[in-house]
Amino acid sequence: MIGEGIQSSNQRRHSFVQDHVEVGFFTDPTVCIGCKACEVACKEWNQVPDDGFTWSGNSYDNTGHLGASTWRHVMFLEQDCAKGNQIAGPMSLDQDPFRWIFLSDVCKHCEDAGCLEACPTGSIVRTEVGSVLVQNDVCNGCGYCVVSCPFGVIDRRPQPLPDAGGAFKCTFCYDRQKSGLVPACAKVCPTESIVFGRLDDLRARGAERVHQLQQSGYNDAQLYDPTETSVRGIHAFFLILGEPEAYGLPPKPQIPTIYLKSAWTAAFATAIASIITTLVAFAFFS
Amino acid sequence: MAEAHPVGFRWAMKAKERGATIIHVDPRFSRTSALADIWVPIRAGGDIAFLGGLVRHIIENELFFRDYVVHFTNASCILREDFRDAEEGATGVFSGWSGEQCGYDRKTWLYNGDGGLSFPERDLTLQHPRCVFQTLRRHFARYTPEMVEKICGIPPALFHKVADALVAASGPEKTAAICYALGWTQHSKGVQIIRTAAILQLLLGNIGRPGGGILALRGHASIQGSTDIPTLYDILPGYLPMPRGDGSEATLRDYLARHTKPTGLWHNFPAYFISLLKAYYGKNATAENDFGYNWVPKITTNHSFFEYLYDMADGKMEGMFIMGQNPAVAAANSRFERAALSKLKWLVVREMVEIEAAMFWRDSPEIEHGELRTEEIDTEVFFFPAAGHAEKEGAFTNTQRLLQWREKAVDPPGDCRSEAWFIHQLALRLIAKAKQSNDPLDEPLRALDWWYPEDQLGDPKMEAVLAEINGWYTAPQPNADGVVFGINREGNPHHGPQIDGYPRLKSDGSTASGGWIYSGVLGPDKINKAKSRNSKDYLGHGWGFAWPGDRRIIYNRASASPTGEPWSDRKKLIWWDRAQSKWTGVDNPDFPVEKSPEFRPTGNESGLDGIRGDAAFILQEDGLGWLYVASGLQDGPMPTHYEPLESPVHNALYSRDTNPAVHWFTRQENRFAPPGDPRFPFVLTTYRLTEHHTAGGMSRFLSHLAELQPELFAEMSPELAVELKIGNGDHISIVSLRGAIEARALVSRRIRPLRLNGKTVHQIAMPFHFGSAGPVKGGATNDLVPISGEPNVTIMEAKALTCNIVPGRLPRGPAFEDWLNEYVPKGGPPNLHPEQPPAGAPCARAGGGHGMEGKIDNR
Amino acid sequence: MTSNSPSEKRLEELREQAWKDGVVPGKGVDVAGGPIPRKPGYYGQPVVKPPVWTWEIPIYFFVGGLSGMSAVIASAAVLFHHVDLARTAMWLAAIGVILSSVLLIMDLGRPHLFINMLRVFKHQSAMSMGVWILTFFGACVVPGLIALELHTLHLFTGAMDQLLRIAAGVLIFGSALFGTLLATYTGVLIGATAIPAWFLHRLLLPIHFGTAGLGSAAGLLELFGHRIAPLNAIGFFAAAVESALLVWLTIDKHGAADRAIHEHGSGWLIRVGEILTGPLALVLRLFGFVPFAAFAFLVGALVSRFGWIAVGKVSGSDPESVFAAERY
Repeated sequence: MIGEGIQSSNQRRHSFVQDHVEVGFFTDPTVCIGCKACEVACKEWNQVPDDGFTWSGNSYDNTGHLGASTWRHVMFLEQDCAKGNQIAGPMSLDQDPFRWIFLSDVCKHCEDAGCLEACPTGSIVRTEVGSVLVQNDVCNGCGYCVVSCPFGVIDRRPQPLPDAGGAFKCTFCYDRQKSGLVPACAKVCPTESIVFGRLDDLRARGAERVHQLQQSGYNDAQLYDPTETSVRGIHAFFLILGEPEAYGLPPKPQIPTIYLKSAWTAAFATAIASIITTLVAFAFFS
Repeated sequence: MAEAHPVGFRWAMKAKERGATIIHVDPRFSRTSALADIWVPIRAGGDIAFLGGLVRHIIENELFFRDYVVHFTNASCILREDFRDAEEGATGVFSGWSGEQCGYDRKTWLYNGDGGLSFPERDLTLQHPRCVFQTLRRHFARYTPEMVEKICGIPPALFHKVADALVAASGPEKTAAICYALGWTQHSKGVQIIRTAAILQLLLGNIGRPGGGILALRGHASIQGSTDIPTLYDILPGYLPMPRGDGSEATLRDYLARHTKPTGLWHNFPAYFISLLKAYYGKNATAENDFGYNWVPKITTNHSFFEYLYDMADGKMEGMFIMGQNPAVAAANSRFERAALSKLKWLVVREMVEIEAAMFWRDSPEIEHGELRTEEIDTEVFFFPAAGHAEKEGAFTNTQRLLQWREKAVDPPGDCRSEAWFIHQLALRLIAKAKQSNDPLDEPLRALDWWYPEDQLGDPKMEAVLAEINGWYTAPQPNADGVVFGINREGNPHHGPQIDGYPRLKSDGSTASGGWIYSGVLGPDKINKAKSRNSKDYLGHGWGFAWPGDRRIIYNRASASPTGEPWSDRKKLIWWDRAQSKWTGVDNPDFPVEKSPEFRPTGNESGLDGIRGDAAFILQEDGLGWLYVASGLQDGPMPTHYEPLESPVHNALYSRDTNPAVHWFTRQENRFAPPGDPRFPFVLTTYRLTEHHTAGGMSRFLSHLAELQPELFAEMSPELAVELKIGNGDHISIVSLRGAIEARALVSRRIRPLRLNGKTVHQIAMPFHFGSAGPVKGGATNDLVPISGEPNVTIMEAKALTCNIVPGRLPRGPAFEDWLNEYVPKGGPPNLHPEQPPAGAPCARAGGGHGMEGKIDNR
Repeated sequence: MTSNSPSEKRLEELREQAWKDGVVPGKGVDVAGGPIPRKPGYYGQPVVKPPVWTWEIPIYFFVGGLSGMSAVIASAAVLFHHVDLARTAMWLAAIGVILSSVLLIMDLGRPHLFINMLRVFKHQSAMSMGVWILTFFGACVVPGLIALELHTLHLFTGAMDQLLRIAAGVLIFGSALFGTLLATYTGVLIGATAIPAWFLHRLLLPIHFGTAGLGSAAGLLELFGHRIAPLNAIGFFAAAVESALLVWLTIDKHGAADRAIHEHGSGWLIRVGEILTGPLALVLRLFGFVPFAAFAFLVGALVSRFGWIAVGKVSGSDPESVFAAERY
């Protein structure tokens, strides 16, 4: 909570790694001020290189999307509906509402993670705190995780950037967490839009916050935590206003391993058919 | 606030969580507006009309906090018969105006009677026709909601929403705070805008109360400190005016006589000033030589930045030190600035990166256009690498007058050094040279007491400097209790114990203090309170040191009723403890601790003894909160709506468009468009982004920040984009009478066209962080902004000007000049605006000064 | 946003007017996030990520498929005493497996860490399975070829030769088993991803890649001079299956979800490839132009691989395809 100082779960020391506690991020755009401190802190701590200097014209978002060199990405949505009961100028009084939403996107650290399942070197692992981590010294940059993420988070870093070739994404500041510190983005978020803590606490908090917002006029507030899909929930979950598509989030994300059964069946069938056909061809046409 | 003070804004968010209403008034919908409960789009420059409208609404509908207004403000004070308001005849000018002096003779503004400002005549019923309250009422009578709509483009429905929210949040049980920054200060009537807010807050009873007040959100690191312990030409530490060289303050006695007030805190002026001289000159300052008063430089005219900029451009300045500033991008009319820099013989720049001010001679838009040529620039530039803020020690003083100590985390790399090191080492060398010369001109240098011990890098020990600012007893007693850094550089005893607050300062030379307002920060307990980080209560006691005397809310006497009880239990701050006969409470009382609420002076007292027990505003001579400023301002005792110097419309309230006392700095390179000039039909306002810092020296050169906002853009409404056939992301050129730059168009509903007096006026908004140096470059928005001087503080009007927009990019090279001549006429007189005086006339230059009194009369 | 908001009503009005008059004059400004969003999703940004693979991968698909199925033909050849054919086929398989490995290592972001692929064996990762399939295939093909050559060239006699013969047999059959998986697993590899155009065709892809590999192996062996009836039969079979797959691909559309295939230029690469491997190869073979049929098949198989990767890049960059694919 704002003003709790070092008592806040975003500041105080912890032993989650040692105690094997599942942690998460709960991100609430209704208090986000779009300052991008999370983006900068993440880059500073993790020494992530710059991701290009391109002005997009998409509101204040010149970062674009998550990738190998962007692990936190603040979205800027300008929409013609109201944010709760906000009066956004005379437009609101003339029934022509407007709002500007900021949301900090990050790797979702899925309960069942596409990238983790796909990784052929075992570089991507699940940590003690339930996060998904790329072990950079193991990754050989095969790129299979890139097409296996239903949220488009992880990517391979191109030359000539430093440490190029490997796949990179948010580490959940695992190195910081091992020392009892909180992730850099949560630490610097001035309004605690990003909340770090125990996953079950956060889920309860998120549910309560949605309820509270809906009571105060935010009719389209909902939680984005796709627990009923094959991803089975995300550890970095969000409160959103409106529909997920507006944020570039898939409403029903799936872990691509659900496609394996049918695909392998087709493969085996083809394999067997090929062998049989070849044998028959030689048997009958020799 | 969310844009420029994101970390501080969390407290606004916490208040919102607890039910506070956040109202944001701004020409554009910024990130603050996105989180506010109400956004009010305002035409840049219409703030006095809007705030004045609120004042009128509160007065007419009797919504003010009556008890507070009657007892704590000067609403009841009676004015002179010969005072004429700007309202009379709707001239917009008060009594006493002199065009030849470019100023007011303010004697008609004073209170009636012989009590002067200390003991005014009052009518506590507020009915007397010449009392301040009735005068204020008449002054703002025409600032109706309809008028507000005409001038600011704010519809009455929205106006009433704000008024209702503000009133509902004020009174005994609730308080409302107003926060502002450069959107109010950088105007030709900036001080008066803030004054209107002060009137509003006084009427609502919000000053001196928890959750109330007016917060100036200071911008640069330690910008508050830069006026407290100033780097300004016209004030000395603690807001003591710089002595004048016009003969009126030739001796110490003359100077003290002028500035010592009979009552109020300024009665102890001599103690503050003489202690300062003792800090400067040490034992060289004695009663016999007037404590070295003759060594203190005297000002002969307005030496502020824009004044000497013109001298620089005319080749009258030889050299300049630029430290922690980038005038080539950050100064108004930066195009002119860069040209002026090229006239210097030498320039010293101290910076961490090679900013535009250091490289103008080899790369700038002027070099690119061919207007300046490197071979022809004679300026010798000395670039000194500077230490970053984590590489040096010292204090920042920012919002809320809070001093916070900064520790040094690492040594600066290579040759980088801090400002303190530089000044200290420069001073040592200059003093050494002065000691060898026998020139009487060098006497002040020889007399300086440069005692500071230094560390192994050559940096002066900053806590020693802080100790001197705090103040001590001058008789050396190095082994006594409460002595900090008692030995000087030569190893000799230097001073005695620290003092614990400014009341201890004396005018007999027994005390020294480098800045009386900071006294108490490093007292005889030897604890550097600016370093402490242990917040004990919601006011923050235990975290840093708020001057004066760690009072977190000044004028907090006003949080209790005239008889000493808190206005409400909910909002109690300090109160009179009858049993112990002293003031006590949550904050340190900003009031003599033992003065009872019933105390009434007889009229013969001086200093704080002349303040009543129910007068909270102890800095003022009458102890009252000033709704009406009887003395101290150059341009009027009450705020009056004037149009910005460049405006698309005329003044709807008065026959006078602009502030009469403003300085226009008339010059061919600094012209102003007349009102409603069709060549420059759009209002331009400037602002800051969270991602960048001022002129970009600390953000454009850092990839993590530069990639967040890599290009200059101009925000405009979809309606304007349609009119000009500009699409989102297009390259456009923006031109004003001062110059032209290019930018990208950011078309957004966050900017709204306004209807002013039946005419549609479009505003565009631009950040100003870009320049020609560094990995991400862009035009310098200040190339478009004119130089002007607000009458009281000579600040430029950067927040409201007019411009034109031309789709497409600017031509490169010499073709730029031809292009510019199409939109900006080359010849003609330098004063195009009908109210602008010609060059050489009064008001064409500044020539005045800040400080408590009037202007310098030469020039 | 509710459907009663004024902007929705305005949208309806615009649609009505556009239908009636054919054009709606007036404001049509592209505003940052304005009332009529021009781009789907979040400013049209991709929802998933397109593949980062370059030309090495489609060529590997082709070479690997051909190489794997070549081993299948080799084992049938051994069984039915076509020793020369077996030798050529095993040589193709061996060269193929080495080329495949090189291509894969070249495509890695950090090639020097290629050996890390063998750190784990994960059945839930098609790429991990593929790595092991390739490894075991190579482990069978290269020694198998050596054994076969040593046996055929009669460099040893007696028991040693017997041993070699048995070893060759075992290893060649081993190669066939792994080889047929090598040719088909690549379809699983791209079918089990988050790319809509791929996962919506996860049944078609293994069948196509396997069949293309089989037909390519047969065709290349024919081009090397082994003009025998079994290879011709295999060629017919492959072309027929490819033709059926082309029909299936064309009919089984998924709207915006796989518009990369049906509305974008990259889809034409696939179709051209499939025409070459399907109807064209079939017709050419029917009319007896066997070398041409073989050549057409080989070209088509290669082009089709490039097509599927290209389609993956387009589909992966298209936010609407991800949203649309969710209903399947």
